[in-house]
Amino acid sequence: MSDIPAGLPKAWTNMLEGLKRWSRINSPWAIHFNSGSCNGCDIEILATLTPRYDVERFGIKLQGSPRHADVLICTGPVTMQARDRLKRVYDQMPDPKFVIAVGSCATSGGVFQGCYNVAGGIDMVIPVNAYIPGCPPRPEAIIDGVVKLLGSLQPKKVVEKTG
Amino acid sequence: MTTESLLEEAVALIGDKAGAQSVPEPGRIDLTVEPGRLLECVSALKNAQWGYLSAVTGLDLGAQDGHLEALYHFCQKAAVLTLRVSMPRENAVVPSICGLIPSATLFERELMEMFGVVCEGTPDTKRLFLSDDWPADVYPLRKDYIVPVPAPRPEKGSTE
Amino acid sequence: MTGPRTEKFIIPIGPQHPALKEPAHFEFSVDGETVTSASVRFGYVHRGLEKGAENRNWAQALYLLERVCGICSHAHSTVYALGVEKLAGVAAPPRAQAIRQILLELERLHSHMLWVGVAAHEAGFDTLFMYSWRDRETVMDILESFTGNRVNYSANVLGGVKYDLGPAQKDSILTGLEYLEKRLHYYLKVVNDDQSFLRRTRGVGTMTAEEAENLGAIGPVLRASGVRRDLRVDAPYLLYADFPITMVVAAAGDLQSRFVVRVQELFESIRNIRALMEKLPDGELSVRFPRKVKAGETVSRIEAPRGGLFYFIKSDGGENPARVKVRTPSLRNFMSVIVGSVGHQLADIPMILSGIDPCFSCNDRTIIVRRDANDATAAPADSDPRKDSAA
Repeated sequence: MSDIPAGLPKAWTNMLEGLKRWSRINSPWAIHFNSGSCNGCDIEILATLTPRYDVERFGIKLQGSPRHADVLICTGPVTMQARDRLKRVYDQMPDPKFVIAVGSCATSGGVFQGCYNVAGGIDMVIPVNAYIPGCPPRPEAIIDGVVKLLGSLQPKKVVEKTG
Repeated sequence: MTTESLLEEAVALIGDKAGAQSVPEPGRIDLTVEPGRLLECVSALKNAQWGYLSAVTGLDLGAQDGHLEALYHFCQKAAVLTLRVSMPRENAVVPSICGLIPSATLFERELMEMFGVVCEGTPDTKRLFLSDDWPADVYPLRKDYIVPVPAPRPEKGSTE
Repeated sequence: MTGPRTEKFIIPIGPQHPALKEPAHFEFSVDGETVTSASVRFGYVHRGLEKGAENRNWAQALYLLERVCGICSHAHSTVYALGVEKLAGVAAPPRAQAIRQILLELERLHSHMLWVGVAAHEAGFDTLFMYSWRDRETVMDILESFTGNRVNYSANVLGGVKYDLGPAQKDSILTGLEYLEKRLHYYLKVVNDDQSFLRRTRGVGTMTAEEAENLGAIGPVLRASGVRRDLRVDAPYLLYADFPITMVVAAAGDLQSRFVVRVQELFESIRNIRALMEKLPDGELSVRFPRKVKAGETVSRIEAPRGGLFYFIKSDGGENPARVKVRTPSLRNFMSVIVGSVGHQLADIPMILSGIDPCFSCNDRTIIVRRDANDATAAPADSDPRKDSAA
C-alpha cells in the first residue's frame, strides 16, 4: 500500500505485498476492548491465551497498544460512555485493520438491545469484519472466528473450511 | 443473639425517633423516618455499632401517589432494619449521611442521578453511572421515564 | 507539601488499558510516585438492567439478571430467584436447593481461581496466571458437564433448577475436585512462601479491621482484615444451615492476606460440595411457579464470591417486577480502594485494585430502560437522551 515505495518493479511490489500479508496473517497482533460487556466473553477471550487453548501458537499476540494492533477484538453492546473511546481506539490503529465482534452483545446488543445507554452492537459504531455469536462463545469458537478471518485475508485461492 | 432480639435492640435505639413500624417479612423491620430525623437515627445506630449500611434503595411510588422513597438498609447478621424516608416527587430532599458513613457517597450519587433525589451536603455530586452528556433532568428509574425506541440497525453490519 | 519540586499529576487509567479487562476511569493524584488522592468514575458498563427488569415478566427478568456479570452469573440468578420465591411463598425443593448451592460453590471456585490468575498477572507473575487458569479449566469442565455451558450456566428457574446431577457428573465432579485440592495446596504455598510474590503483597494495601469496616469493605477483603462477616454463616440460605462452611479470616489485612483468604475459602468450598453430593436430597428439581407474584417487598442476600450481594425486590401483584434493586459487593469495595490507595506508590495501584477483585459489570449493572413494542407514548422531545448522539 502506501508504505511500499512507488516506482519499484512490479515483481518486487508483489513480493513485498505478499510478505506483509503473510506476516499479518501468520502473526496478527490483537488488542482487546470491552465496550460494556458482562465479562463473560472477556474471560473466554482471556482463556484462549491460557495453556489449554494457547492461541499464541497460531501466532496471535494479545497486547496493550492500539498503535501496534492489526486486529481489534471487541466485546459488549457498546454503552454510551464506551462509544467514543471505542472510536478512538479504532482510529489509533494503523491500516489495514480488522475488527472482530465477540459475543451476542457485540453482534447485536444481545440481551441489552433497546437499552437507553446502549448503542446495540459494535457495528453501530465502527465497521466489523467478523462476528462470533454466543453468550459467551466458547474459546474454541473465538479461535475459529479469528482463524476464519485470517483465512479470508488470503489471496484468492481455495480456502479450507474450518470446523 | 437471635434475629428477633437484634431487631428489638435496633428498635429500642431509634424507635422514639421514628414513625410507623412494619414487619414486611420475618427478620426485617421497616421504620418510617422523617427526612429531618434521618441523621439522628443513623447516628444512634452507628454509636451503638448496630449493623452496617448494606444498600440504599430508591423507589418511585408513581405520579398518582406523588412520592419518592429512599430506603436505607442496615444489616446485622440476619436482621435487616430499613429506614424509609418519604419525599414529595417535586421536592425530594434528604440530608446526606456521608458525614457519619463516608462510604455512603457512592450510594447517594446513584440515588441522585437515578431518581433526582437531592442528598444535601453530599461531598461528591458527580455522576456515577450515567454518562457525562446525559441530560440533567432526566431520571431513568422514575416511573415516568420511557425509553426511546432504539435506532434501527444498519442493513449490512460488515464492510467487507 | 512545600517546595517547588512538588507536582501533582492526574493519571487517568482507563477505560482501555492492559491491566484490567474491564473499563473504568480512575484518577490518581500523585506527588512524585505517591498517591495523594483518588476518585473513580463508573458507567462504562452501565447497561440499564434495573429498569429493564421492570419491563419484563418475572421469568424474563431472571435471564436478564443472570447477565449482570459473567463471572458471578449464578449468584445473581440465585439471589433473585430466592427473593422472588419468598415473595410468592414458593420454596424450591431440597434437591434444587442443594444443586443451587453446589453451583454457587463451584462458581466461587472458578471466580477465585480466575482472580488469583489475574492478580498474579498484575504482579508480573505470568506463570502463576497460566497455572491457575489451566487448573481453572477443570472447574469449567465440571460446570459444562453439569449445565451445558462454561459461563452463564442459567441453571435456575423460578421454583427450582433445570439441571440434575447424575452419577456420571458426580464422578467427574469428585475427580475434578481431587485434582483441584492438590493444586490449591500448591497455590497456598506460593502465596505464603514465595519471596518475590511476598515482596509485592506483604504489607501492601493494608487495612485494619476498623478501617475496612468504616470504608465499607465487604467479602474476602473484609475477612482478610479480620472481620468475621459471611452471609453463609450469618444468615444462612439454601442448605448452608445443614451443610455449613467455616468462615475464613486473616489478621494482617494486606494484599497477601487477601490471597490467602481466597485460596483457603476454596478448600471450604470443596469440602462443602463433597458433603452436599454425599447427602444429596432426593426429589423433584422444581415446583410450579405462579405467573403473578403476590404484592410485597423482599430483601434477598447471598454471599457471592466478592462478598454480600443484596437485592431488594418489590412486587405490585403483577406479572412484572415493580422494582429490582441490585447492590453488588464490588460497589462497596471500591470505596475502600479509593481511600486505601492514598499514601501508596502508584505502581502498587493495580495490585491494590486487583485485591478487591473488582467486577465492573456487576458494579454498573444497568438500568435497562426499555420500551414496550405496543407503547405508543413518545418520550417528550426534550427529554430524549439520545437526541445528541447519532446512533
